[in-house]
Amino acid sequence: MSIEKRGDWEPKIVVFACNWCSYAAADLAGLNHLEYPAEVRIIRTPCSGRFDPMFVLRAFNRGADGVLLSG
Amino acid sequence: MKKRVGVFVCDCGTNIASVVDTEKVAAAAGKLPGVIFATTYKYMCSDPGQELVRKAIQEQKLEQVVVASCSPRMHENTFRKAVTAGGINGYMFEMVNIREQNSWVHHDREQATKKAADLIRMAVNKVLHNKPLQASTIPITKKAMVIGGGIAGMQAALDIAEAGHPVILVEREASIGGKMTQLDKTFPTMDCAA
Amino acid sequence: MVAVAQHPNIELVTYAEVTAVNGYIGNFTVTIKKKAKYVDWDLCTGCGTCIEKCPTKKIKDEFDLGMGLRTAIHKLFPQAVPGKPYIDAANCTKLTTGKCGVCEKICPTKAIKFDDQDEYVNVEVGALVMATGYDLFKWEDAYGEYGYGKYPDVISGLEFERLVSAGGPTGGQIKRPSDGKEPKNVAFIKCVGSRDDTKGKSYCSRACCMYTAKHAYQVKTKIEDSEAYVFYMDVRTAGKNYEEFYQRALNAGATYIRGRVSKIYPRGDKLVLKSEDTLLGRPIEVEADLVVLATAMLPATDSGELAKMIGFSTDKDGFFQEAHPKLQPVETFAAGVYLAGACQGPKDIPDTVAQASAAAVKVCGLFSKSELATEPMTSEVDINKCSGCGFCVPICPYGAISLQEVQQRGNHGRPPFMRKVAEVNSSLCQGCGACVPACRTAALNLKGFTDDQLAAEVDALCL
Repeated sequence: MSIEKRGDWEPKIVVFACNWCSYAAADLAGLNHLEYPAEVRIIRTPCSGRFDPMFVLRAFNRGADGVLLSG
Repeated sequence: MKKRVGVFVCDCGTNIASVVDTEKVAAAAGKLPGVIFATTYKYMCSDPGQELVRKAIQEQKLEQVVVASCSPRMHENTFRKAVTAGGINGYMFEMVNIREQNSWVHHDREQATKKAADLIRMAVNKVLHNKPLQASTIPITKKAMVIGGGIAGMQAALDIAEAGHPVILVEREASIGGKMTQLDKTFPTMDCAA
Repeated sequence: MVAVAQHPNIELVTYAEVTAVNGYIGNFTVTIKKKAKYVDWDLCTGCGTCIEKCPTKKIKDEFDLGMGLRTAIHKLFPQAVPGKPYIDAANCTKLTTGKCGVCEKICPTKAIKFDDQDEYVNVEVGALVMATGYDLFKWEDAYGEYGYGKYPDVISGLEFERLVSAGGPTGGQIKRPSDGKEPKNVAFIKCVGSRDDTKGKSYCSRACCMYTAKHAYQVKTKIEDSEAYVFYMDVRTAGKNYEEFYQRALNAGATYIRGRVSKIYPRGDKLVLKSEDTLLGRPIEVEADLVVLATAMLPATDSGELAKMIGFSTDKDGFFQEAHPKLQPVETFAAGVYLAGACQGPKDIPDTVAQASAAAVKVCGLFSKSELATEPMTSEVDINKCSGCGFCVPICPYGAISLQEVQQRGNHGRPPFMRKVAEVNSSLCQGCGACVPACRTAALNLKGFTDDQLAAEVDALCL
């Protein structure tokens, strides 16, 4: 399967990041000025354990193109 | 709980403002449902910045506060205190990370500005569901344990004990002193190690 | 050392290990294993008669790194604090074969207890200071070019300390281990295991430049007509009066050669060091009677286990991870647990003392409060929704949830009855929220990160 990139299309990527590791790592990426695509939107969770599969379904249901859970 | 959100967007000098159009972001935030006040400031964490938050809470009768600036791991407590000082519960507050996770990692001004606006919309939506929370307290056993009886452990134990608190010093070997006891004279003064 | 033992506020527990840590800031329960000493220290006066009379006298003394001998019942070293002996069970004839018992017979206070057992005790404390120190890099396992430890006159810096110490096996006379002769030419090699990605560690061990300068100075001043050759990569003297001390070693006549020694091999009763003088750009060969290696500092053995048990992290090299490299150098990610000394990273004595005092201040700061405010973002149970299934109980990593009986009003005129519901201990709850998705009846929620709040965030992003 191939996806052609259309000029105006921007994916909606929802990230759930644990406050203590992934969220801190994203902060560290910032401190080091490492660049990554701007379509990423991070939601902070207190721990990846707080994450509920319900949120993935909800995100896709409402039009997200990708969900990343990191912890 | 009334919906009266104030949004405060920080320039962080040029750390944020050079990549994110903060004025545009604040203007967009001002139009969000529930938001009755939105502004920018050069350094929101500074004393005048915090004063701005405190004043706005009182003058605009804000019930919820959103601050868009650096990482909450940096300044969440700073602003929580400012919000409390303004007269509302410190947990009626959300922080938006538009520095570490936006202006420092993106270069495209348009995209970064859009992302900042999105993140603020997210926080405003969340803060409308926030409830006042109260910290509880736990007792403290005023006795310390130091694990390791070398130079570090002995010094720490002595300092704590001198301050008047009981200390238990646990050492794996049969004597305290650690590696230091095996050393002869020590640099740069050449005094004896024991 | 004596000041520590004499302080009325300090309880010394030596020959003991921490085996379990439970609880949280302000309220830790620590289990200590007091290893069997076979001597009742309450009765023992430390007279030392047992040590004199012990017939098992030829055990290699670990304190002198195997260069001296000791008895089975012994003190770690003569000035040990507390100054009382213990029996090394593995080497005691009475404990291994059942015969002997000389110490028991001659002890004037009847303090010997051959039936002594390891003892476990629990203590309640409010704060922990980690000061587990360092161990030295085992160069014998890694440096084949220096002989893998098969040349007796290639020794570590710590062994040199024992040789030069007045309390050491030679009484402070520098003698080489192979034949007991006083060495004339002593070579020092720095950065053995430090700053060496291939064989050792990438970091600088920080203290070696200075103690090597001290060793070279001691060779020059203690041994007549001696030469001290120091092979170095860099000389790092970043400390108050350190550069001056290095100059003192140079003025005493120490020869510094910039280069890594590539091989050591014996020639007669001497050792030949092959290197390059990188400042002159030519090969160099030095004949030495004794070679001293400045070996890297490593985290103390098993300290990683301790970190895991308490619940904070270690860095890539196994040193304890501070909460922030600049702003929180003595805190860990576990609240109420602080760091002091080389367990956090290689450091010298002044830095260790400074950090230990800093850790002590953190503890005193904590103890200056009568109670501690807790983060209110903890889980809460809506008991009207809770079915009492208990699913959440094993999921909680902090043991904060338990099932409690509550009285329920009976419907339709039935009498009240008891049923079980989950209860969250908010001082144990760390607010991770792992219990929330596990709850089948949506009775649990995490304050500050409720389902509503997170769903609102998802909605705002996606719509």
